[in-house]
Amino acid sequence: MGTKMYLVKEGYDNLRKHSSKTFSTMLIICATMTILGVFIILFQNVNVNVATMRQEQGLQAFIEDSATDDEIDYMRDEINNIPGVKEITYLDKESAFEDAKEQFKDQEYFLEGLDKLQIFPASFVVKFSDIEKSESVREAVEKIDGIYKVKYNSTTIDAVSSISKVVNIFLLVVGAVMLVISVFIISNTIKLAVYSNKREILIMRYIGATNRFIKTPFILEGAIMGVLSAAISFMLISIGYVVAYSKLPQVGSSLGVFGFVPYTSLWYIILIAYIVLGLFIGVFGSSVSIRKYLKV
Amino acid sequence: MIEFVNVSKKYNHEVTALENINLKIEKGEFVFLVGPSGSGKTTFLKLMIKEEEATSGKILIDSKDITKIKKKEIPFLRRKFGFVFQDFRLLYDRTVAENIIFALRVVEASEREIKNQLQTSLEMVGLKGKENFYPNQLSGGEQQRVALARAIATKPPIIIADEPTGNLDPVTAEGIFKTLEEINSRGTTVIVVTHAKDVVDKMNKRVIALKEGKIIKDDMQGGY
Repeated sequence: MGTKMYLVKEGYDNLRKHSSKTFSTMLIICATMTILGVFIILFQNVNVNVATMRQEQGLQAFIEDSATDDEIDYMRDEINNIPGVKEITYLDKESAFEDAKEQFKDQEYFLEGLDKLQIFPASFVVKFSDIEKSESVREAVEKIDGIYKVKYNSTTIDAVSSISKVVNIFLLVVGAVMLVISVFIISNTIKLAVYSNKREILIMRYIGATNRFIKTPFILEGAIMGVLSAAISFMLISIGYVVAYSKLPQVGSSLGVFGFVPYTSLWYIILIAYIVLGLFIGVFGSSVSIRKYLKV
Repeated sequence: MIEFVNVSKKYNHEVTALENINLKIEKGEFVFLVGPSGSGKTTFLKLMIKEEEATSGKILIDSKDITKIKKKEIPFLRRKFGFVFQDFRLLYDRTVAENIIFALRVVEASEREIKNQLQTSLEMVGLKGKENFYPNQLSGGEQQRVALARAIATKPPIIIADEPTGNLDPVTAEGIFKTLEEINSRGTTVIVVTHAKDVVDKMNKRVIALKEGKIIKDDMQGGY
């Protein structure tokens, strides 16, 4: 057993020596990490849904009644050439009427006696490839001859964007609070470990232990607690999400309704976040205590 | 090997613990450091291992002025010294062998060195066969021998014993001094702080007496 192995063993022994303290520390860190995991899932779900909604969002450009078929073809080409346009569908008067009938299913008397060809104009439904370009697409479409009105559902997009912003901020706040709590808990546990090893440390100093030698077991102790908590939290959150997912609406299953993304497109984000955080809080938390109580 | 040149130590700019100390201890010497409580003996030891900083003067260990070394070098300075304390300072949750191995781990000894040095030092202090005992299962004298074995295990050129027999009866104390003498006879410099007047008188070694921070006596073959 070389020095490195010895230091690892010392770190592990420290954990076992006060196993009840280790257990309660990891319990709290698991709890905070799991809460954070829920927020990461929420964040990811909102973002995916926002992206989906943005793809579904589009604008409707109404065509003047006088437009000939050739003119309509020309307009279609014009719109297709605008950067940011993903696809374009032509909706003739007939299908516009059918759509309206669908919308007013139970109140069809609204439509009775109306001249459908006058009420419902033909239109293009334009979808965006890139939501950032929605405004410029709208302006470009409005300028095209033969288009008399462009309807653009910006209130929905605004609402959806602001939801995602709120969720992002919330995630940051929750993450920060969780970090502070976890670092505090770990550093407190390491403080106790340093105290209970005071005698060893004193003797080590007289014998001529380097700072690295004294510090390493405590840093490892913190790191092991952090990573182990991350692993447990990951298992909990994975099982929890997979079970919940089977009972929740899934993304894309019905248009316009919030749906959940499958875990296969989520797990690695959570795993990476957990490992990085676990290591960070473990190493940083123990370093704080070592600097303060070991005076090295 | 150890040289103090005009060394003074004041605590808080007021209390003078040591005043203008000049002395030289050669390699392989056996030195008693005596004097009443508060005479500066402990400060003297602490200055050598840089646990305290000298207020003025130079302290040379192996011709290197340690008042100028960096903090990072302190552990390596301390590896030149093996310490034995009045209260033994053993780890009571570890066996005799584990206590000794602990010291060897600290200086990052190899597996082979650990194996060899454990046996050599146990033999030296006469504790062979007790390696798996816990300190509490041993007598006071034996516990101090464990501390001695731990101090010599890392092969330091200097052994410092701070009142090593303060907690022991005279007969046991004599045994400890005999072992220290034996360690010294193999070339290790030994510095012993003690109040054991009889032993000092009997052993005929160099005696440095401190009083109120000053050297009042330095006899090559002195008494208490």
